[in-house]
Amino acid sequence: MSTTGRPSRRLVLGAGAAGLLGVGALAACSDAPPPAPAATPSAAATPTTSTAPRPAYVGDQRGVALCAALSALAASLYSGAVLAANDGRLGQVPAVVTSFLSGAGAQHTEHAAAWNALLTAAGRPAVTGSPLSVETERRATLGRAAAPTDLLSFAVDVEASVGATVLARAGEFTDPGAAALAATVGPVAAMHGATVAFLLGRPAGIAPGPAGAALGLDALTT
Amino acid sequence: MTLLLPTQPAGGADVAALRTATSLVVLAQSTYSSLAALPVGGGERALPVVRDLVTAAVSQLGDARDALSSATTGAGGRAQTDPDPAYGSVVAQALPTVRTPADVVGLALTLEDVLAQTLVADAAGLSTPALRATALRYGQAAASRKASLLVVNSLLSSGRADLVVAPPDLTTLPAAVGTVGFPDTRFPTAKASPPEEGSG
Repeated sequence: MSTTGRPSRRLVLGAGAAGLLGVGALAACSDAPPPAPAATPSAAATPTTSTAPRPAYVGDQRGVALCAALSALAASLYSGAVLAANDGRLGQVPAVVTSFLSGAGAQHTEHAAAWNALLTAAGRPAVTGSPLSVETERRATLGRAAAPTDLLSFAVDVEASVGATVLARAGEFTDPGAAALAATVGPVAAMHGATVAFLLGRPAGIAPGPAGAALGLDALTT
Repeated sequence: MTLLLPTQPAGGADVAALRTATSLVVLAQSTYSSLAALPVGGGERALPVVRDLVTAAVSQLGDARDALSSATTGAGGRAQTDPDPAYGSVVAQALPTVRTPADVVGLALTLEDVLAQTLVADAAGLSTPALRATALRYGQAAASRKASLLVVNSLLSSGRADLVVAPPDLTTLPAAVGTVGFPDTRFPTAKASPPEEGSG
């Protein structure tokens, strides 16, 4: 163990689901009742209980939930793309295209699980499905694919959005576990993007469209 | 149970890590420039795809160098301008032996891998979200270049230089090319350079 005071790289990166997401964040959304307000004659005479619903995610948890939802959406979209590739309506889809979609989709599935593990370790519910404001539009875009290269162009924006979203959240995370996960997940999305760029004949990179932008926290609908 | 991690390095530790990352960027950029000057890297014997990757990398690494230098001075340190000493000797030995496009890709891959792993480690270990995001931004860029090199390397190593073209004929590319560029679900950091390596 290091005696320099600097954290071990492996120790920090190994934090994963055992990170600190729950410590500060759980304090912020504790089941414990809030401090009693200063008593007033009327308040004292009319005891009340809070009826405001507890937010599902607060603080860093919200960014983690956003990343979980987006990873799940990417996985789901790629699963749909593989189905489209196999049903014949896009013509003969090259094996390298379906290989990419299946491989990248599997990694997005694992990323979603890793993000969710942070939430559940903090005592919060895992994100179910992909509750994002952009989901309907993204599925519609996929539905308009008419050729194998359309699937790849679609993937350019998917990967760019995942990478940009993770990067944006990394600039806000204070939780070590969330920061460590962002650090190891974001580059993988970049590698997916580079693979798609090569397949599309732009190995030095492709500028994504508007759908490739980072999602803000307001895109999370849960 | 709460696992307490020491995750807030002092400013001095930030500076050391940033200087080491910069030293790797400096080395990678100068190496790409050297490769670009070779017939198989940027000259008449270069594969156009490889030449484009080399050219783009020089530009991207210049951006990374500027950003990391700015972050270093912002953290109270002095920007690193020297190349990483550990990998500098590796490059010095390898450059004279570069004869083929595969050699170009292999050397670039070595440097991009250690650079990306170092920046990813920094993206988790630096003390502020802003510094971590800076490291991650350029770690993602290095990872992206690594993926491109892995794809090209897989084709060259299997004797299919004819498939390293842009745009490729998707129907002739092996299915494995679709996934060879992203071998790990979580980007590794085992090869990350220690913060003190290039901080001197």
